[in-house]
Amino acid sequence: MTELLTGSQILCRALVEEGVDLMFGYPGGAIMPFYHALPEYPALRHVLVRHEQAAAHAADGYARASGKAGVCVATSGPGATNLVTGIATAHMDNTPIVAITGQVPRAMIGRDAFQETDIIGITQPITKHSMLVEDVTELADAVREAFAVATEGRPGRVLIDVPKDVQTAKASWTPAGRGFGASAPGSTVVPAGHAAVDEAIRLISLAHRPLIMAGHGIILAGAYAELRAFAERTGIPVITTLLGISCLPEAHPLHLGMPGMHGEVHVNRAIQQADLILGIGLRFDDRVTGNLAAFARGAQVIHIDLDASEIGKNVPTAVGIVGDARETLAELAARVPARDCDAWREEIAGFVRPRLENFRGGLSPEGILTAIEEASTGQCTIVSDVGQHQMWVAKLYRYQRPNTHITSGGLGTMGFAVPAAMGVALARPETPVWAISGDGGFQMNMQEIATMVQERIPVKMAVFNNGYLGMVRQWQQFFHGRRYSATPIWSPDYVQLVAAYGVLGRRVESANDVDEAVRDALKAPGPAVLEFMIEQEANVFPMIPPGASLSEAIEDEPAPPRLVRA
Amino acid sequence: MSGSQAVAVLLEDRLITFNRAVGLLRRRNLPVRSIAVGPTATPGVSRLTIMIHSDEATADRAVKHLQKLIGVREAVAFPARDGVARELALVKVRAPADRYGELLDVVQLYHAAIVDDSPDALIVELTGSESFVLCGLRALERFEVVEVARTGTIALAPSSN
Repeated sequence: MTELLTGSQILCRALVEEGVDLMFGYPGGAIMPFYHALPEYPALRHVLVRHEQAAAHAADGYARASGKAGVCVATSGPGATNLVTGIATAHMDNTPIVAITGQVPRAMIGRDAFQETDIIGITQPITKHSMLVEDVTELADAVREAFAVATEGRPGRVLIDVPKDVQTAKASWTPAGRGFGASAPGSTVVPAGHAAVDEAIRLISLAHRPLIMAGHGIILAGAYAELRAFAERTGIPVITTLLGISCLPEAHPLHLGMPGMHGEVHVNRAIQQADLILGIGLRFDDRVTGNLAAFARGAQVIHIDLDASEIGKNVPTAVGIVGDARETLAELAARVPARDCDAWREEIAGFVRPRLENFRGGLSPEGILTAIEEASTGQCTIVSDVGQHQMWVAKLYRYQRPNTHITSGGLGTMGFAVPAAMGVALARPETPVWAISGDGGFQMNMQEIATMVQERIPVKMAVFNNGYLGMVRQWQQFFHGRRYSATPIWSPDYVQLVAAYGVLGRRVESANDVDEAVRDALKAPGPAVLEFMIEQEANVFPMIPPGASLSEAIEDEPAPPRLVRA
Repeated sequence: MSGSQAVAVLLEDRLITFNRAVGLLRRRNLPVRSIAVGPTATPGVSRLTIMIHSDEATADRAVKHLQKLIGVREAVAFPARDGVARELALVKVRAPADRYGELLDVVQLYHAAIVDDSPDALIVELTGSESFVLCGLRALERFEVVEVARTGTIALAPSSN
């Protein structure tokens, strides 16, 4: 007689079959049967968070660091809706996530039952696929389909909504049968067409001022060696977008820097002077291009992307290649004739501008980041929150190892770093993980320190405290007459606060104390929090104002508004 | 150059898939003029016809986005003028006894048919291209039009596509 399993047991077993060994979640009424079955499957480690948003961010961080799909679990109603911001964050940055939510029993769906929400409806725009599983015999296949869809092609978010009575219903185990490719024809990987590659090679050979713009797709494809080989063969300088950072070691002579709104002037000027841009695995987001009408007017664009709908979406392309970054770059590196760009690179070196140093008192983001890098001999992973500090972390830390910079780029979600770092730390237990936040973002999810203590996740946290929502304050200073509406933000005494969690805390007010504080944090066996008292009104330079082109950077403090006496 | 583009989608016959496709049209801000959905010869597969007013590049981009959706089997776009586009209208009309003959003449002129005839009102079935149907509706407005139900446009590309 075949053994009958409950839906919950089937769900657990299917997850184990998919190679899941870690989930972040929070129980509740509609997901209780799943949690009842969970202890029977010790291969599935569950991390109890303190807010479901953190579960989604942790699953995201885990996925970015490991390359596997991250898994988060929540109950129906408010549990599910609390996942939304985390799912949207993963959506904008193309991270594979599988979210499992409990749902009210089938007979109650659609009647505004207690803790019922149409989470499938709510998450439609931010998921690649979602399923309400109404038949327990389809549950195992639903899990298989979810992981296949989440991880193939352009990675995606998949949500599985399981009614409570389906979790308790019984069925026999259905072994894996049919293969799962997604049922959408456009999602299979299309090999690069040779004609397009030939044309790309022709344009590359003829260009006098070519540039490579490398985005997140390089990291998702793991195409580090191929990018490097191609760049070295052609001598073309490499620009990395915010999410492409660390796809090429920053010490490499061809590494140029980050473009766009806060990109260095010489990088943006190189783009505006280029005659050929080879864009790989990026989507020409508005933060990167500035005003599209004025973006790289002199350049022809070759766009290599896995997703056909991205090519030509924002920027007109001379050659579009739909394909995997790794395969396409390998083919290009093998076939492109060797050349150099020495004259062009010298020209770009002449565009470099002196940096405006506006950190009085010596305690600067650069000093802090250098101390962190040296103390871990460049071995750590940096997870950044959102704001001014995010730009400093992107531009001033020297990333040498691939995929060591993780941040919320597309959605720009404050409160991302602390929970995401938990996921990163569990994916990479051998090297230190630093979560760097501003005082605003840190307060959004600092409750997760409790998760770190309970689960023994030794994330090292740095808070760049300037007493303001810094990036908003900067905009208010530059564009709104220095009216600081709702941007001064009070913080508790973080050292005292984290002591209540049993965690090491240090406040650093002088550059002389940075090295020791960083070493103490790394020596501490568990989580640690360092609070850095940063210059309050420091600004990120350069800055391209909204709507302006890459050629119109602000490099200096605007004059303060003049007082007019009546 | 903008014109009427037809986007035809074959998709799984499930509300969630339909929801996903229509949600995408809204989210991508596509200039939709009509939507029609109905069954196909294949069980479990529906055909969704979306008429948008745009240039061909926009329609092609809509197709690329639609093709990524789970549950969508196929999507194509073509300029409406390159294919055959038709819609159907049911029109409830009242005419006093002395104008009945005039109404019948209009029905005949537009190759329409009376599909329901009751003492207070008739129902006229009118099919054709969008402009033909609009002319027919205008002609019927000489009488007392009580209610109109239109299907929206369906379209097939010519066989060379």
